[in-house]
Amino acid sequence: MENNFFGEETAIILGLGELRVGKCPMGTIGLGSCIALILHDQRRSLAGLAHIMLPESRGEVDRPGKFADTAIDALLGEMGRAGSTKSSITAIVVGGASMFEFSANSLNIGERNAVAVKGLLQEQGIRIEHEETGGKVGRSVYYWPEEKGRLIIKRADGTCAAL
Amino acid sequence: MELDPFQKDALAELGNIGAAHAATSLSQMLMSPIEMTVPEVQAIDIADLHKYISNEITAMVVFQIQGEIADGGYVVVSMPRETVIQLTNQMLGTVDADLDREINEMDQSAAIEIGNIMISAFLDATAELLGIVMLPSPPALAIDMAHAAFESVVAQVASDVNDVLIFNTELTSEAPPVYGSIYMLPNTELTQQLFLMLERMMEPLS
Repeated sequence: MENNFFGEETAIILGLGELRVGKCPMGTIGLGSCIALILHDQRRSLAGLAHIMLPESRGEVDRPGKFADTAIDALLGEMGRAGSTKSSITAIVVGGASMFEFSANSLNIGERNAVAVKGLLQEQGIRIEHEETGGKVGRSVYYWPEEKGRLIIKRADGTCAAL
Repeated sequence: MELDPFQKDALAELGNIGAAHAATSLSQMLMSPIEMTVPEVQAIDIADLHKYISNEITAMVVFQIQGEIADGGYVVVSMPRETVIQLTNQMLGTVDADLDREINEMDQSAAIEIGNIMISAFLDATAELLGIVMLPSPPALAIDMAHAAFESVVAQVASDVNDVLIFNTELTSEAPPVYGSIYMLPNTELTQQLFLMLERMMEPLS
């Protein structure tokens, strides 16, 4: 299990603030307080993934993937143009950990990120199929959009979850 | 953000002086010589961060830069977990052959203490050069995937910019075999201020 992430297929790795819609395998490495938001359209084997860094864009538009509000709009827009309808899209939300101990300050922004993403999904009426947020560990996420979609979450403590 | 060669040089020199002081204090504490690399200064696009920061389990001690410049950004000391265990052994005078053991509370304290000592020296030296006061906040610690901890720090400095300025120096010692890096991530205001101060310092005397 440990090493076949990169071995079996080459996923496109999305960096901080990037987003992508497509049929190819996608992933993010080392999610801390950030959120990996995956929107999946089973009928079209199409998925969108965003590596969201902060909850609110406050008017910034140049990197839609960076903020929860702009990322969801951009993903839905792009998937809509590919033929998806809101009713056929489900969501997976991973990340939003609080990485630091001995710190009461703003470094632990993960929780706010998770709340923002989930609130926005609810506003849009998109069902959350799977969620793994909060906690204290970093995570890597890999997603294969074909058919029902396949998700692997690898946690920093060495455990894995496959779906 | 594009750094011109002059800015790159000036910032590297600033990092060099800071890191040299940090290395000296580490060396005194471990009573062993410490080697350090020439600091690299890079403006990294946040989307490319995962190409520079590994995903190995790493201890990251994070300090916010305070003082004259409020919330000036962050300084980070990162060490692989084996190094943390080595340092704990060194500080306690214990011999612990098992470097694969679980990280315990003593290791956390050791990591924080080492971070404190190094970063105090780093900020003192850079601030003195610039003629300002920079103080570290109390430390925060994460022992986790390096990238996961790093992006939480980047999220704080890059809310309205898409690249971050990263100073990176590696420190190594052979006995005990330890290895670590210092990163400095100034926020937008501090970055601008750094450029201004460095430019002023480089002006010819008239």
